[in-house]
Amino acid sequence: MSNVNAGNITKGNYIIFKGAPVQVNKTEFMSPGKGSPVMRIKFKNIQTGSAGEYTYKTSEQVEIAEVSKKEMQYLYRDGNELVFMDPKSYDQASVPVALVEKLGYLIPNLKCWVVWYKEKAIGVVLPSHVTMKVIESPNEVAGNRINAPKKTVKLETGVEAQVPLFIKVGESITLDTETDAYLSRVQ
Amino acid sequence: MQTGQKIQIRERVVDTIRAFFKKRGFREVFTPILVPVPSAEPNLEVFQTQLQTASGKKRQGYLILSPEYSIKKLLAAGIGNCFEITKCFRNEEEVSRLHNPEFTMLEWYRVGADYTDIMKDFEELFLKIIGKEKFTHQKKTYDLSRPWPRVSVAGAFKKYAGKDVLKVAEADFYQIFFNKIEPAFAKSGKPFFLYDYPISQAALARPKKANPRFAERFEVFVAGIELGNCFSELTDSVEQEKRLHHDLTVRKAQGKTRYGIDRDFIKVLKVGLPASAGIAVGVDRLIILAADVPSISDIILFPGNELFDL
Repeated sequence: MSNVNAGNITKGNYIIFKGAPVQVNKTEFMSPGKGSPVMRIKFKNIQTGSAGEYTYKTSEQVEIAEVSKKEMQYLYRDGNELVFMDPKSYDQASVPVALVEKLGYLIPNLKCWVVWYKEKAIGVVLPSHVTMKVIESPNEVAGNRINAPKKTVKLETGVEAQVPLFIKVGESITLDTETDAYLSRVQ
Repeated sequence: MQTGQKIQIRERVVDTIRAFFKKRGFREVFTPILVPVPSAEPNLEVFQTQLQTASGKKRQGYLILSPEYSIKKLLAAGIGNCFEITKCFRNEEEVSRLHNPEFTMLEWYRVGADYTDIMKDFEELFLKIIGKEKFTHQKKTYDLSRPWPRVSVAGAFKKYAGKDVLKVAEADFYQIFFNKIEPAFAKSGKPFFLYDYPISQAALARPKKANPRFAERFEVFVAGIELGNCFSELTDSVEQEKRLHHDLTVRKAQGKTRYGIDRDFIKVLKVGLPASAGIAVGVDRLIILAADVPSISDIILFPGNELFDL
């Protein structure tokens, strides 16, 4: 059992909150000028999917949830479960949809890190970049003239992305899964 | 937000603040940012530097945490109602949605007034900046119609946390506040003033006549963001010196940079600081709300995390 200083908790960490394992999805450092600094975190219970928030003193010790990660391939969605496979052993694992964010990046055969807690698959860490095909694009767009011009296109999984005007239907593009930003066109 | 917009909105907010106070007869003052003794804040860390003359005189220097000591020296000299918009600095904080190591502070002081007068100033000023009573920040709507709720710290701790605030350790105060009290108010959609803090948490505030275990201090919250901290100023030099020593002891215990007491500040209190009240307001936070953006880095042209690659 190991601990982390609440001030050092970051997004994506798994910690124990009131006896239950939770994943941190947002942290906010606050320093009231006249008082001790605090760390407000928003989290999701990785067993039930329910969300919550709590404020720690930055100096507080918080227990880390001991999770492990395994590289697996995404296969398909089965109702409220996402099915992954270990490419070496062909073992399969299911992760509840409620515990996964950014489902739009899950294309078949995508290699992800499946997160395990007490021998249960409880989350998915996406690769930093994902390449997907453009299936719909507006023909003519005025573009935003102050910025580099961008338009909205639809991708193979149904999600939308902001891309440069030269991108056409049928082309593949790479996106940053953290920021959702367009990175490049794949030739 | 585009660079042009960032410049515009900051300009507009700062112009509004200036016009607001000048119209009401406040003097605008300009006090030093580099000082020999910073405020005796127990929980804040300073930027330290060394001043050296061509002839080799060396002095320790600090960037201000707040311009309060300098402004109070001016008040004692008889300047009357006044305000300042200046840069302040805080070291060893996380750069976050609401924190940048260098930020813009607005302070104003009213002579012959107490903290309730500053509450009214704040309501009016904020409405001027936003320009309307129904105001939206990050898709949540707030009602700015006056008067905003005023809630005593003791009452809020009792009602929302079931605790006697005088028995709450200083270190736990804001944790309880953010866990129990602030969320309860967030739902109401109204800004609010939280007032009368335990005396132990009010370094520069005067005790309440009716109950000296509390001090005349308030903090104001809009959209869950703390925007300002106000005191009815403590004018008793003996009591003030005692509290400064206490705060410096706490600093020492926390391993923060050590420095002495601003003797000139104590001296002016002895000469006589007029009965007055003053507030410190984070201007960048006002701009976050006026611009409807989530983070301070959205409205600072050169955010600390980009400048210093944090």
